[in-house]
Amino acid sequence: MRKYTPKDNVQGKSYYTDRYWVAPRIPRSKVEEGTHFEVVVDALGELSKESYVEIGQLIIHIDPKTNLETLTILKETCGYTQCSEQSAVDYLAKDGEFELFYQLLNITEALRVRVVCRIKDGEAIESVNSLYKSALFAEREVFDMFGIKINNHPFLKRILMPDDWEGHPLLKTYPMIGDEFASWYEVDKIFGKEYRDVIGPENRDQSRIERYDTKRFSRVGYEVPFNADISEGEKENPIEYSETVLVNYNKNSSKQLDERR
Amino acid sequence: MAQHQVNYASSAGLPIALTSVDKLVNWGRSNSLWPLTYGLACCAIEMMASGASRYDFDRMGTIFRASPRQADVMILAGTLSKKHSEFARRLYDQMTEPKWVISMGSCANTGGMFNTYATVQGVDRIIPVDIYLPGCAPRPETLQYAMMMLQKKIRRESANMNNNTKNSLRLV
Amino acid sequence: MQQTNKLTPFFENLNFERDDNVMVINFGPQHPSAHGQLRLILELNGEQVVKATPDIGYLHRGIEKMAENMTYNEFLPTTDRLDYIASTSNNYAYALAVEKLLDIEAPRRAQVIRTMLLELNRIISHLFFVATHALDVGAMSVFLYAFREREYAMDLMEDYCGARLTHSAVRIGGVPLDLPDNWLTNLAIFCDKLDHEVVHTYGALLNENRIWKMRLEDVGVISAEDALSWGCTGPMLRGSNVNWDIRKEEPYELYSELDFDIPTSDRCDSYGRFMMYMEEMKQSTRILRQLIPMYKGTNPQLMAHAPQYISAPKEEIMTQNYALMQHFVLVTQGMRPPKGEVYVPTESPKGELGFYIKSEGEPYAYRLKCRAPSFFHTGLLQKLLIGTYLADVVTIIGTTNIVFGEVDR
Repeated sequence: MRKYTPKDNVQGKSYYTDRYWVAPRIPRSKVEEGTHFEVVVDALGELSKESYVEIGQLIIHIDPKTNLETLTILKETCGYTQCSEQSAVDYLAKDGEFELFYQLLNITEALRVRVVCRIKDGEAIESVNSLYKSALFAEREVFDMFGIKINNHPFLKRILMPDDWEGHPLLKTYPMIGDEFASWYEVDKIFGKEYRDVIGPENRDQSRIERYDTKRFSRVGYEVPFNADISEGEKENPIEYSETVLVNYNKNSSKQLDERR
Repeated sequence: MAQHQVNYASSAGLPIALTSVDKLVNWGRSNSLWPLTYGLACCAIEMMASGASRYDFDRMGTIFRASPRQADVMILAGTLSKKHSEFARRLYDQMTEPKWVISMGSCANTGGMFNTYATVQGVDRIIPVDIYLPGCAPRPETLQYAMMMLQKKIRRESANMNNNTKNSLRLV
Repeated sequence: MQQTNKLTPFFENLNFERDDNVMVINFGPQHPSAHGQLRLILELNGEQVVKATPDIGYLHRGIEKMAENMTYNEFLPTTDRLDYIASTSNNYAYALAVEKLLDIEAPRRAQVIRTMLLELNRIISHLFFVATHALDVGAMSVFLYAFREREYAMDLMEDYCGARLTHSAVRIGGVPLDLPDNWLTNLAIFCDKLDHEVVHTYGALLNENRIWKMRLEDVGVISAEDALSWGCTGPMLRGSNVNWDIRKEEPYELYSELDFDIPTSDRCDSYGRFMMYMEEMKQSTRILRQLIPMYKGTNPQLMAHAPQYISAPKEEIMTQNYALMQHFVLVTQGMRPPKGEVYVPTESPKGELGFYIKSEGEPYAYRLKCRAPSFFHTGLLQKLLIGTYLADVVTIIGTTNIVFGEVDR
């Protein structure tokens, strides 16, 4: 029976998983009285479903439909004038949801807040570019990489991948080396589909050795002159990747072993 | 650089007139190779460093030209992504004969450490390459050595480009 | 012999024939002064730019995808290639993010070495900025002078870690190597040389140069709220009179113990930013001079002691059995950090470089997002270029100091 490879998460996995290993969690602390974070949480009121402090930054969970409202309050009332970062995490395999986050910065207080919301596959989210212009590029990237559509964005087009690319690369179902569309993209674009045989498939094997190529590869143990033709008449030998070299142990020549004895 | 010295006086026999024309033309071509500025990623910084004060590129007669019509060599320095591959091929086609290509760095040779969906695994999938430079990023001295190897290669060729048979991946 | 291929002579996504008499120019992905692979689609009315659309992604290599398929330690050399001009700053930002996730701290000597490397990288990056900005605007000899100093700085980096450009000089938990002999004396000599050059060569050539001032003054003006809204950080923000430097406000490493100033400029234009970069180089040498005596007398431990996450030093691995076993497990399987997410900002020479790491307890990160300053600065070009002349486009691209390794990741 072949090994089970899950289809909803094709990223690499560690080869060994300890069945009894329970990963600890990063400690979360409550929002303390009297800090600026408490002011923030009070200003948001109903909008924040959950809030806590982790590694010195406030994390607020909200409902995705209220993202524009929440960020407006944070920007105008609480002074978080810069949105440093906006992106998404793909949890489709686990919960069927994406987790989006906005990382905000308050310059006067030197504090950071992360606003986190979860949307389902196929849902769209409202753009925040009326508040933060950095969203223009950041949301395009979220769309390009995950396929999450953004409402009211003036120019929602692919930004990092070519315009005619199919597939959204950062999804967990997208393999790192790319699917079939990706592997023939440049050949199709430049020369056309007919040239696929002329150019040949990509070489994704990082340790590939060509067996009958005596110009670029040397064959340890079966040396032939440079660029000799061995396409016929080669001994049927399997390729050994690790050479075990038999040492010619000559009692007179190896002094060290004798001394240790 | 004694090993790279070329003796222009001797011509090793017949037919004397033709080989010295060859030698003259190749001398001109090899000693004034004008590269197209094709720096893509980190190797571009090393290419700039090799053109800068310490490792001067100008002493080999290379002047970086921005227009493909005026350039002889295309030094592909850096990772070629699939979005960019179309433009690389377009610029290669716009270069006038005779032209050569140096692929600089692991990313241009074989895709390098980026075994991902958006990287062309080796520039020689779309452009025929003459000299491959290993390294990540290769030192400027390596680039200069590659340039000198290209000069040696040019001097070996016949001046009439139609008779040159390049047995590397010339995509036709 | 030209070979036939499918490429047609027109770009499919640009409409060159327009009704409103506006000229469309493609400032293509291959351009000597585009600082990498930036494609700008400029619509010009005469010489003035009416609309500018930056098109990026020509260097997208899928680095974030790679992070989901590699262990944390394996991924560190890949971060080198993000901002490839000052590689150690990206390595350090990533290492710091993972260290915050693991809640470990590097030992004292490692902190001294790391801060020295960070400031040295800042100098390398600023020298590159001066060189390429001057080259683009037209002052070509400054390029050669700045690269001369840069070669001395890269010699120092090479003496330390063996590589000129892609260093990987920092590891999660500390540094792998100790300083070689005479490195500190060479560093002191370099600092003196650089201080002299900044004032007497680049300063003398450019600061009061009439042509330079005419090219740079009132070009690329951006107000403070715009800069904040567009996500500018670092020199772009400080050039608009916002006093924000992460080294002072959210200090990491030894910056809380060091004495240095943060230059800001209230001119909001390219000339102010240029003067700020020169001043920052002087402040960096000041920091380096304070760090040199701090090295002596520190405990020679270079990596943090956290056996669950970090391998032991080499001497222990070669002699102790359990250290060898743990090192084997950490190298083959990878370390398993706790579950959770972290965002750590650092002040890279270009702006705020931050890494957002989300971990599920697996040896491979579940999601890694790199907050690159140049990405947002490139977005800013949509606004900055409107109303400027074609010659100023090059100046503005130079003054935003964008590096495409970061923008496209």
